Amino acid sequence: MSETLTASPWLDSSEKPYIQIENVTKKFGDFTAIDNLKLDIYKNEFFSLLGPSGCGKTTLLRMLAGFEKITDGRILLDGEDISEIPPHLRPINMMFQSYALFPHMTVEKNIAFGLKQDNLPESEIKQRVEEMLELVELTDFAKRKPNQLSGGQSQRVALARSLAKRPKLLLLDEPLGALDKRLREQTQFELMDIQEKLEVTFVIVTHDQEEAMTVSSRIGVMDSGNLVQVATPTEIYEAPINKDVADFIGDVNILQGVYKGQNEVGTQLQSEDSNSIVFATQEVDASPGDKMWFAIRPEKLEISKKKPSDDHNILRGKIEDIAYGGSFSTYHVRLQNGRILKAIRANRERTEEHHLTWEDEVYLQWAPHSAVVLLS
Amino acid sequence: MKNKQKIPGPFKSLLSGRFAVIAIPYVWLLSFFLLPFIFVLKISLAEPIMAIPPYTALLNWGDSWLPSIQASLDSYLFLFSDSLYIKAYLSSLKIAIISTILTLIIGYSIAYSVARAPSRWRGILLMLVILPFWTSFLIRVYAWIGILKTEGLLNLALMTIGLIDKPLIIMNTDLAVYIGIVYSYLPFMILPLYANLEKMDMSLLEAAADLGCRPFKTFWTVTVPLSLPGILAGCFLVFIPVMGEFVIPDLLGGSETLMIGKVLWTEFFYNRDWPVASAVAIILLALLVVPIMLYQRSQEKAIS
Repeated sequence: MSETLTASPWLDSSEKPYIQIENVTKKFGDFTAIDNLKLDIYKNEFFSLLGPSGCGKTTLLRMLAGFEKITDGRILLDGEDISEIPPHLRPINMMFQSYALFPHMTVEKNIAFGLKQDNLPESEIKQRVEEMLELVELTDFAKRKPNQLSGGQSQRVALARSLAKRPKLLLLDEPLGALDKRLREQTQFELMDIQEKLEVTFVIVTHDQEEAMTVSSRIGVMDSGNLVQVATPTEIYEAPINKDVADFIGDVNILQGVYKGQNEVGTQLQSEDSNSIVFATQEVDASPGDKMWFAIRPEKLEISKKKPSDDHNILRGKIEDIAYGGSFSTYHVRLQNGRILKAIRANRERTEEHHLTWEDEVYLQWAPHSAVVLLS
Repeated sequence: MKNKQKIPGPFKSLLSGRFAVIAIPYVWLLSFFLLPFIFVLKISLAEPIMAIPPYTALLNWGDSWLPSIQASLDSYLFLFSDSLYIKAYLSSLKIAIISTILTLIIGYSIAYSVARAPSRWRGILLMLVILPFWTSFLIRVYAWIGILKTEGLLNLALMTIGLIDKPLIIMNTDLAVYIGIVYSYLPFMILPLYANLEKMDMSLLEAAADLGCRPFKTFWTVTVPLSLPGILAGCFLVFIPVMGEFVIPDLLGGSETLMIGKVLWTEFFYNRDWPVASAVAIILLALLVVPIMLYQRSQEKAIS
């Protein structure tokens, strides 16, 4: 999460949104790619559109850039309706997934391209190009052609080119998709630094939930042409609004069951996975007999061979698989009814005294406040 | 493997499959380009005589062990002494350049619209470009006579709709030659341009628009520079054969249409001066080697 946003403008009703997407619909023939979507994005936000492929996130981004005509609704930028403005007149720049660097121009000329369109004086163009090259640490590569650059370098040239015009809004379409994991992680931090330094509003499209969690001020989770949930990364992870969001963001164990009512501990669930009733602190508006789900993140499931002293929320099972991840291990535990739950435990000790191994009978337990109650 | 080791060094490479593959184009070029070229070169250095064949032998065996060489540069000198030949070369050059430019303009717009057409239409449109090849080139040029002549289809149509009172004189002029050449060579321009424009990354055009470039300017700053290999290929495919074109100026052109291909024909069949005709051909080839080499270099650049 971006550290710059000490305030949360989306919580302040007096704050004016910078980008207003008002009831936007986009149809391709009979297919509705975006369905009556509403979204406000605030100045200097690093907003992520996250969702599976085909959910409409790229279409939404392309509508912001002006490459797709809006079927219905409108988009405002800083109070001005930009729906009918062609892409070359919008104060918005985009970083393309393929980078779309001009292969016949040097790095320098690529970065200068946008500035030349504004008929800026040569000296200013030169100075801005140098600034941008410094920003992305590519000063030594100014005279290279795109085909002489590595993937990471191309990515930085594309970023420099899209930032050179100091756009009001920068759109990034899967900007790190083509980079390997290590470079991607490093670049995520660079992106955040640059965003902070230049104070540009970023809207990024990604299908990589980890990336969205790392860089964003807020995330909009999309599915079949609409936003399912818009919230900060922490909220999305810790308080997903439904099973789909919980499942899409990170790993999750979902216990299905029937609502039994409230007691002093909290919401009671008669789960198919447990012989006894399980609890969650969160209170819900439901009536007994309603279908309900508990979502529990794997790292919030305690796993041990010893029976826990507290007898709430206990499930029994057998370790079927172990994924050793170095700093932590993920245990796949098969319950008595055959379902598999995942539990993560940090590997705090080098030689584990209470070492867990395959076929071990274990107890899984969670604190009532660790489970999220979902009604859909 | 064991068998191979028994073969002595020099034969091993001869027998390897790789050698055979490389040999095919060399053998082809040797027998169908280099050998005929040497014959023509030889004839160009001979003198014309009334005989069969109608030129003197290059090597005279006589009585001595070594043959005496009887070469003369008379044919070449003759080409420079008569301004007709230089004029014909220049006129061919002019016609080739103008018709290449015309073909490029028309071909580019066709290739561009085919490449940007919906993908289900592209195959059909491309087919229509290639379709005329099904008919003989000669017949297609003859057909133009029917269209362009004084009482031809074009004049008839224009007079019927009342655009003109008197028929236009197009047949047997340079204009008819240009029409014939542009028509005949258009597919050679369209195909390489289409191949190039079709694979162009559309996101580059979007990137240009995104950076504030107007569509027309994008065409000149992005599309055209990136299609340069296609433009060069198309231009050379048109320019080189048009330089030596004979059929079109002969059928559609008038008596004042001067092209080196026609001169060559006249020397060969009317004057029966094989050495001069060969010299004309050798010089034409020498002139064309320059653009051919330029073309090759552009191809190498495109590959790298």
